[in-house]
Amino acid sequence: MDMKRDYYEDVQLFTSGVVLFWFVVLLSLIAVLPFVVKNYYIYVANFVAINVIVAIGLNILVGYTGQISLGHAGFFAIGAYGTILLMTKLHFPFLLALPAAALVAALFGFLLGLPALRLEGPYLAIATLGFGLTITQVIGRIELFGGRQGLHTPELIIGSWHLNSDRDFYCLLMPLTILLALGARNLIKTKVGRAFIAIRDADIAAETMGVNLVFYKTLAFAVSAFYAGIAGGLYAFVLRYIEPEIFTLMMSIMFLAMVVVGGLGSIFGAIAGAALLSWLDLQLRNILDMPYIGDWLEALSKNYFSITGVSNIQFIVFGFIMILIMLFEPLGLYGIWIRTKKYWRMWPF
Amino acid sequence: MIVSGIAAGSTYALMGMAMVIIYKTSEVPNFAQGEMALATSFFTLMLLEQRGLPYHLAFPAAFLFAIGLGCLLEFAVLRRAKEPSVLGFIVITIGLEMILMGLVSWKFGADPKTMPFPISPYDSIAIGGVFISSLELLTLFVALVLMIILFIFFRFSKLGMAMKATQQNHTAARLMGIRTNRMLMLTWGISSLVGCTAGLLISPITMQPYMMWDPMLKGFAAAVMGGMTSLPGAVFGAYILGIIENLFGGYVSIEFKSVIAFIIIVLVLCIRPSGLFSRHYVKKV
Amino acid sequence: MKNKVVWLLAAAMVFIFGLSLPVAAEVGVTDTEIHIGQWGPQTGPAAPWGSIARGTGDYFKMINAAGGINGRKIVYHMFDDGYNPAKTKAGVKELQEGVGIFSWVAGVGTAPGLAVRDYLMEKKIPWVGPCSGSLHWINPANRYLFPIYPLYIIDAKALVKYAVEKLGKKRFAIAFQNDDYGKNGLRGVRESLKKYGLELVAEVPVEIKDADMKPHVMKLRKAKPDAVLLWVGPVHAVKIVGTSKAMRFAPQWLSTSACSDFPLMMHISKGLWKGVIASTFASLPDSNDPLITKYKKEVHEKFAAKNERWGIFYYAGILLAEPLVEALKRCGRDLTRERLVTELEGLTDFKGLGGTISFKPFDAKDPYGTRQGGKEVFLIECLDGGKAKKLTDWTYFDYRW
Repeated sequence: MDMKRDYYEDVQLFTSGVVLFWFVVLLSLIAVLPFVVKNYYIYVANFVAINVIVAIGLNILVGYTGQISLGHAGFFAIGAYGTILLMTKLHFPFLLALPAAALVAALFGFLLGLPALRLEGPYLAIATLGFGLTITQVIGRIELFGGRQGLHTPELIIGSWHLNSDRDFYCLLMPLTILLALGARNLIKTKVGRAFIAIRDADIAAETMGVNLVFYKTLAFAVSAFYAGIAGGLYAFVLRYIEPEIFTLMMSIMFLAMVVVGGLGSIFGAIAGAALLSWLDLQLRNILDMPYIGDWLEALSKNYFSITGVSNIQFIVFGFIMILIMLFEPLGLYGIWIRTKKYWRMWPF
Repeated sequence: MIVSGIAAGSTYALMGMAMVIIYKTSEVPNFAQGEMALATSFFTLMLLEQRGLPYHLAFPAAFLFAIGLGCLLEFAVLRRAKEPSVLGFIVITIGLEMILMGLVSWKFGADPKTMPFPISPYDSIAIGGVFISSLELLTLFVALVLMIILFIFFRFSKLGMAMKATQQNHTAARLMGIRTNRMLMLTWGISSLVGCTAGLLISPITMQPYMMWDPMLKGFAAAVMGGMTSLPGAVFGAYILGIIENLFGGYVSIEFKSVIAFIIIVLVLCIRPSGLFSRHYVKKV
Repeated sequence: MKNKVVWLLAAAMVFIFGLSLPVAAEVGVTDTEIHIGQWGPQTGPAAPWGSIARGTGDYFKMINAAGGINGRKIVYHMFDDGYNPAKTKAGVKELQEGVGIFSWVAGVGTAPGLAVRDYLMEKKIPWVGPCSGSLHWINPANRYLFPIYPLYIIDAKALVKYAVEKLGKKRFAIAFQNDDYGKNGLRGVRESLKKYGLELVAEVPVEIKDADMKPHVMKLRKAKPDAVLLWVGPVHAVKIVGTSKAMRFAPQWLSTSACSDFPLMMHISKGLWKGVIASTFASLPDSNDPLITKYKKEVHEKFAAKNERWGIFYYAGILLAEPLVEALKRCGRDLTRERLVTELEGLTDFKGLGGTISFKPFDAKDPYGTRQGGKEVFLIECLDGGKAKKLTDWTYFDYRW
């Protein structure tokens, strides 16, 4: 059913009219969203979109190139701090500062990619984890970066457009997210993307086939860091205040979890995973306000647990969701999607 | 400085050994290790303070609880994973970590606590101008004894051999009549037991739901430095890490003490990609 | 085909820009209700401070049980942010734009507060009593922000003054948490020592992640101080004092309000906290201050959850909400935000659980005088069983920079 007859068909953006149709539907949903929902949900959408960008970038590294990174909060922080500092200290306009900061992040990604050439599995995990921790420590130490007191973002002005509401920012963020998602998809379909996949499947075989390991592995790190850097710069403006303690190890772990839960090696997976986990992250605190369940949980806490710690239920639920998805579908949400699609195509057989 | 580094290293060594035991047999980097120890420690606190059990009953009960918890997690969660990848395991263990942490903080609240203990954590003895607290000595002793026991166990006991076989070749081990599933479950039990001693030895100072995160990471780091599959490597790595941390904190910069360990590890790994004590193993194509 | 998409996108964007939202003038007040919000970490490493938000909630329950304020009941919206600024902002927006909050009260932490400060101030929503003693709340000053918690710098002044003048200490060292809290303390200590012509003999930063305190204590010990200030959280404080005991190092420990919950500190330090001097901003839990006995009986015993401890941070939640309640009472039936600000500014020497609280009409040039409410602290010493001995009375401190 998905036969590709030539290269151009493979690189085509929309493989069929159906795909185009859904893409247009999605776009119009995104475009209409700010008019129909409350401002708060726009903030949530912004938050989700930023995580989507990181997840797409991380997916290039983890899903397509087969590396591990537990240090993406570091790149994220570089992007955030870089953007703000370039704007306040060097008076760069935002649209220049953002990619510039992301390029700095990409440079760090390249540097981190160098030791990664020889490492794999838990060794790589620890090395990248150390990177993430070190970055926040260094930022917290240097007074130029505001130290532990944090930094406030400057006014965001593009041309004559003052972006001072979440809705304005949404209008900037969504096209960027779509652009970056399409960019990632196109990257994967090119020679570079195929080199990445070859490295993931068997790096020595890839090398014998003439894939330059040094170049492509570090490139994967750099591209991935670039995405995280862009997302970080945008995140700073969603929050409008940053400090080093935001960029914790837990954040890196959540990024990785987004990619894995969503489904490795699929852009759709990265988007779905990021959307699900960041939405849960924000919304689970309201679990006690849910009808029936909330009352039941409160009664349970009163009798068996402590009422002061009742909010921790959100972690338990979060953990369960992550585990269940991984247990029932190793491919994550993407796998579930594919299975449902197949099921309906074959229905009723 | 070196003495206090060794003291700090003992806790890392215990956590590191616990992680190595699991990684060795099932290639799961167990991020829930710290929280397994945490759950056991709070369980012990409950026995001691709320049920009023004496030490000689509470601690064995805690060990049993730890083994049970480890086996349960393997049986109920890890074994159920279909076609797992390393990343899938990382996410699963992180999910477990969140659940355990959530349960503990839900049950006990967030206020810091302390566990009653036979020896005071603040008594110390002086060895030639260097002070070492009796609790640290105990930790050191426990770490070394456990290392020796584990070494002997894996080298000479039938069960230990079976576990090793399971690690080296799953299918072959199964064909030889080893119940590999049961072996894996036992591995988790043993690992949980080793980890819980670290938790119990931290608890007499202060207890809070987040206390095991740092020792777990450092233990993991130490294990990676040692080679992830070698028990003596993990212990050695842990002590090196503790000593470096303390020397660095004492003479260079105390602010970067908590991250220097990771920088050193990156350097070590650049030279020896599979850690200090393990043979480099290249994946076949 | 691609063109179509681009065209659609462009059309949508144009449509979006055309829209602007009118902002409602007054929200959060009805004939029978006043909506008040707060965040507080109930999960995560900062969760011990979560009792503040619960304390405020129980206090409002008492007020509602007594008939509310001028015929209106307080509807209290508390949410858990896990001390994560992104979540704080999300929660504040959700409540502000969903339910509509009249005024915010307390709210734990400098970083979470800073993430929402600009948002609240731009919308001109009063925020009373952010729960931290950071300089950020009055520097720069904001018309709608009314900090009550005494500055950490004031803690430093009080401690240094007492240690130099009453105890005759000369060599001071500090162990400070490497964040806003610790840095404020460091700054305060340096400035106050300068007045006596003294300098710190050691400044030891403590990272929140640090678990082992030995190198820190060694550094302190090497400098041979006779008094050490602990600008860290309770767990680190206990570890430092404990490690020092093991290393036979026993200076006079001086600590902040964060470690002034003596029953708790005494318990988790297994008795080592005895003799430590701390500054505090609220009446002692077992004192016979009529307000303390009243709240203990009518708030804690009646409304608190079963395992809630009557600790200083629980009733700090009451302390930080008292001025707001007083001002709301003074507003009468005609309740608007501007009116509330006027009434808050009219508070002079208001006495609740803490020191006296005064605000004045807004003057950006005098933030400390017009916007910093609490300017008084007193010192206590820890005795056996977590009891406290009052070393000084409420003392007023001025601060200019």
